[in-house]
Amino acid sequence: MTQYVIIGDGISGSSAAETLREEDPDAKITVITDEGEPLYNRILIKEHAKGKLPEAPISIHEEEWYEERDIELSLDTHVTSVDTDENVVHTHDSGDIPYDKLLVATGGTPTQLPVDNSDADGIHHFWTFQDARGIRESAEAADNAVVVGAGLLGIDFAAVCGAQGVDGKYLMRGDRWWRYALSGEGAEIMHEGMRDVGVEPVFDSGVDHFETDDDGAVTAAVDPNGDRYDCDFAGVAIGLTFNTEFLRGAGLEQDNGILVDEYMQTNVDDIYAAGDITRFYDVLLGEQAQNGSWGSAKEQGRVAAVNMAADAEEEEFQWVSSYSITHFDFPFLSFGHPTLGDEHAERKYSDTEWRRVAFKDGKIVGGVLIGDLSPQSKFKQLMRNQRVVADQAEVLLEKQVDLDNLAPEQEQ
Amino acid sequence: MSMASCDILRRSRHLERVESVTAETTVRHVDQLDTETLDAFYRALTADRPVSEADVDLEPGEVIVFTDYYRVART
Ligand SMILES: Cc1cc2nc3c(=O)[nH]c(=O)nc-3n(C[C@H](O)[C@H](O)[C@H](O)COP(=O)(O)OP(=O)(O)OC[C@H]3O[C@@H](n4cnc5c(N)ncnc54)[C@H](O)[C@@H]3O)c2cc1C
Repeated sequence: MTQYVIIGDGISGSSAAETLREEDPDAKITVITDEGEPLYNRILIKEHAKGKLPEAPISIHEEEWYEERDIELSLDTHVTSVDTDENVVHTHDSGDIPYDKLLVATGGTPTQLPVDNSDADGIHHFWTFQDARGIRESAEAADNAVVVGAGLLGIDFAAVCGAQGVDGKYLMRGDRWWRYALSGEGAEIMHEGMRDVGVEPVFDSGVDHFETDDDGAVTAAVDPNGDRYDCDFAGVAIGLTFNTEFLRGAGLEQDNGILVDEYMQTNVDDIYAAGDITRFYDVLLGEQAQNGSWGSAKEQGRVAAVNMAADAEEEEFQWVSSYSITHFDFPFLSFGHPTLGDEHAERKYSDTEWRRVAFKDGKIVGGVLIGDLSPQSKFKQLMRNQRVVADQAEVLLEKQVDLDNLAPEQEQ
Repeated sequence: MSMASCDILRRSRHLERVESVTAETTVRHVDQLDTETLDAFYRALTADRPVSEADVDLEPGEVIVFTDYYRVART
């Protein structure tokens, strides 16, 4: 009987456990998580923090879900190291757990700002359900907020401030939000969205240090220009540090994430990785890449499990990821790898509509749609088909995209 | 109306905007929809017309979190 151990009960670990049970009905499966609750919907916790969604619909699995599938779930259990010679996982206080095959699905932890008082009361990071409960409570009581981190997670803090009626200042390092994927025109639509919910973007700013009162609660953020912003709530989302500390000495190849091939195999026999933590070989992009999205993590967990159970390179991971922002009156969807590629095309259609498509070697590798999502499935299809279309960007920028207007594909 | 078109209507879905949800409601974020379902969901919303059950993975009663909260209803 094969013994599978999965570290992490996020969507990638949990989806792997489910698939392993389907593929290998007799196996012993153990899922270890250092959180105190089984899988919940991480992409809905922001709605709880906004005060819009009760707790119950955010839960995905009860403990019974694991019992029914004869999967051992170990809550509140922190893995401290992995012995890859003896095939054993060591935990903080729950003993040692042997494995035949191991899946590392431990995701990341928000990075703290390396500035004075960055751990003061009232300064929040956002990853777990517990974080969301704390953010909700703190935001409900707050008057003035500061948000730091001009990316996809920072904007969730801005939305919490908007929904909770807290006046916010969004301090950004450059001249716009998500400058790696958006031009000024695209970003300005997002800035307007922020202003509409009561959060003012502040450019060429950031945080030099926080000020606190005698009780250690945050009272202000001071930016590198010396400008001071009063706040009794701060949200910091400057990036993720991957949870790989317990792999020290295990011999797994890493490069800001665990390196895996398209089968989710690491360089160490019988050890696989899935989800946010991987830097995987992206067969569509033709190089190693990272995805930080729910759908991708779920699929990586499934694909890893299929290959673990088969003990073979049975199925490769091939996926176009999507990430939406739903906080404003207009929709926003980023797909694939919008910050990569060697050229791009973009167009603004109205005050709330903008589009960018990124290409590598003439093929679509990602993009951003603001205001009008209608071409998303067509762009993803072209990306999956790896069709060379950069020379026909005009067709892709038409308001209504009609793929029949593309010139017929040349025989390779 | 013919039986066939009755059947299609019976087996289609439309979306209703809701202000809040109860603890018992099944809720999904729009990023949990596959590409085709997202396409159908978005068409249903922007064209304000029902979508066929066959095209989509949307369960009656569930709420989808998009720019508002939308309940999936049987037409
Ligand atoms: C606030 C927020 C909003 C988001 N919004 C979206 C969105 O709109 N759309 C989207 O697609 N994606 C979104 N994401 C990203 C998405 O949630 C992640 O990509 C996805 O959940 C990653 O899943 P995972 O299983 O790889 O990792 P995780 O969900 O991070 O799970 C890893 C688990 O491993 C545990 N762990 C770590 N180290 C150890 C250890 N040593 N021992 C035991 N357990 C350990 C962790 O506690 C955690 O439970 C959002 C994320 C956040 C935080």
